[in-house]
Amino acid sequence: MELFELTASALSEKLRRGECSSVEATQSVLSRIQATEDKVHAYVTLDGEKALAAAEETDRLRAAGESLPPLAGVPIGIKDNICTKGLRTTCSSKMLHNFVPPYNATVMEKIYANHMVVLGKLNMDEFAMGSSCETSYFGPTKNPQNLDYIPGGSSGGSAAAVAAGEAYVTLGSDTGGSIRQPSGCCGVVGLKPTYGAVSRYGLIAFASSLDQIGPLGRSVDDVAMLYDVICGHDERDATSARREYAPVYGNLDASVQGMTIGLPKEYFGEGIEEEVKTAVLAAAEELRRQGAVLKEISLPSTDYALPAYYIISSAEASSNLARYDGIKYGYRAAEFDNLIDLYETTRSEGFGREVKRRIMLGTFVLSSGYYDAYYKKAKLTQQRIAAEFDAAFADCDVILTPAAPSTAFRLGERIGDPLKMYAADLCTVPVNIAGLPAMVQPCGRAKNGLPIGLQLIGAKFSEKTLLGVGKAYETATGAFGVAAVK
Amino acid sequence: MKDFDIQHIAKLARLKVSQEEAAQFEQEMSGIVEMVEHLPAIDGALEVSVDNAMQLREDEVRPSMEREAILANAPSQEAGCFLVPKIVE
Repeated sequence: MELFELTASALSEKLRRGECSSVEATQSVLSRIQATEDKVHAYVTLDGEKALAAAEETDRLRAAGESLPPLAGVPIGIKDNICTKGLRTTCSSKMLHNFVPPYNATVMEKIYANHMVVLGKLNMDEFAMGSSCETSYFGPTKNPQNLDYIPGGSSGGSAAAVAAGEAYVTLGSDTGGSIRQPSGCCGVVGLKPTYGAVSRYGLIAFASSLDQIGPLGRSVDDVAMLYDVICGHDERDATSARREYAPVYGNLDASVQGMTIGLPKEYFGEGIEEEVKTAVLAAAEELRRQGAVLKEISLPSTDYALPAYYIISSAEASSNLARYDGIKYGYRAAEFDNLIDLYETTRSEGFGREVKRRIMLGTFVLSSGYYDAYYKKAKLTQQRIAAEFDAAFADCDVILTPAAPSTAFRLGERIGDPLKMYAADLCTVPVNIAGLPAMVQPCGRAKNGLPIGLQLIGAKFSEKTLLGVGKAYETATGAFGVAAVK
Repeated sequence: MKDFDIQHIAKLARLKVSQEEAAQFEQEMSGIVEMVEHLPAIDGALEVSVDNAMQLREDEVRPSMEREAILANAPSQEAGCFLVPKIVE
């Protein structure tokens, strides 16, 4: 077994025992990247030199007898909408193609403080708007499980890098499913934490009331380790939750004995592929075998989550993206007549189609005369959806659903049809709407070989419970490991 | 079906939309608006969640980012300032 194929937790153990060095692990991943990146295209920016220097520094500290945190020396990739000081951060947009942040996101300060080795920045749908990674200005990422298929999105690069062995773990962000849907497509584990659990300071904003940074990895333990690093209160994010976070990794209770697992019937009905349903129900059966009680529940407003999401997220996006005007940073049009023309030409040339579509939709729903009909209605629907989840958690410890209605689709298949593309987030969007934590992990393969993902949804701040259930399932069935990339 | 004034929305959003693009935007947006019009009529007021109320930090002067580091990203700069086209004739 090559070093790049290890899980982050296995590598951490090896590093601690002195069985390999961080430089060796980093070199192994960098040669893997060299071998597969032409096919996968997970990265927008690679920084091998700086990664090796960081690995050397960690090895030096370890040799000097310093006590290091568990993920010290472990190579990580970062989604390209998380600000990294001195390392280009593009949001996969022409608008920010040359933006070098003068500061680190809070999560990056934590990653560096934990002596992790940053490999580079990962591809995504432009400004995190998309479910296939095809709206990237730098071209699409391919699914390492089958290169003719999309890796999911928007954190497609983050999921693909982990699946291909081009990183041990990665950071993604999730506004409507952007960590979980690609995790399902690529056969990896991805956690969208409770809204407020991880600081958004330095995450380039898409829809601020829904955005959340989270970890991806090849095992539940890896995701737990990285979650421990990034969670916590931050005074620079006004929506950050003030609470204590006990370490999850090493303390997971991988047992479902006596737990009640809710199966909402709305997530197993029309629009969900049979193969997906069968695999997720088989996973439920496995958990029942381990001592859990399965309970059919109903979340009646599920169908309204997607429309409410598109109103709220587009409204917030239209406001958040107003800052891109060609003045202080990023792209500026070469020719213009006056200041207004500079703004308009810069924005028209700098944003791609999907981003413009969402800005236009958001501007429309917030415009005079339409606010009550759309935005207010969507916010009221959001309240109802959150209340239905609350009621469900009175009877259930966790809720189990498919990660997405289907497995990964072919590149180009849905890019011309926004509504079909949006439907890929059907199972994940309600979680953001309600501000809950949820995790996706693989639960088998479809006949065409592509991974099927299950989603575990928990009450607010129940990450430890989710990861415990996920680990119980993973221990019984095994994780996927690194994809062959052929 | 809604009548969209695409050019008006574009103006509010500071985007330029050609005739051809406008037609496509109009078609795509009516599809999306049709989807969102299925939302239920809910009576009630928007509530602010009290279990995680926003808390602002003290507003105090602290060291911040370097001027040069900020200006390094500007498309055009001069004498420590962002350079913009002439605004007042």
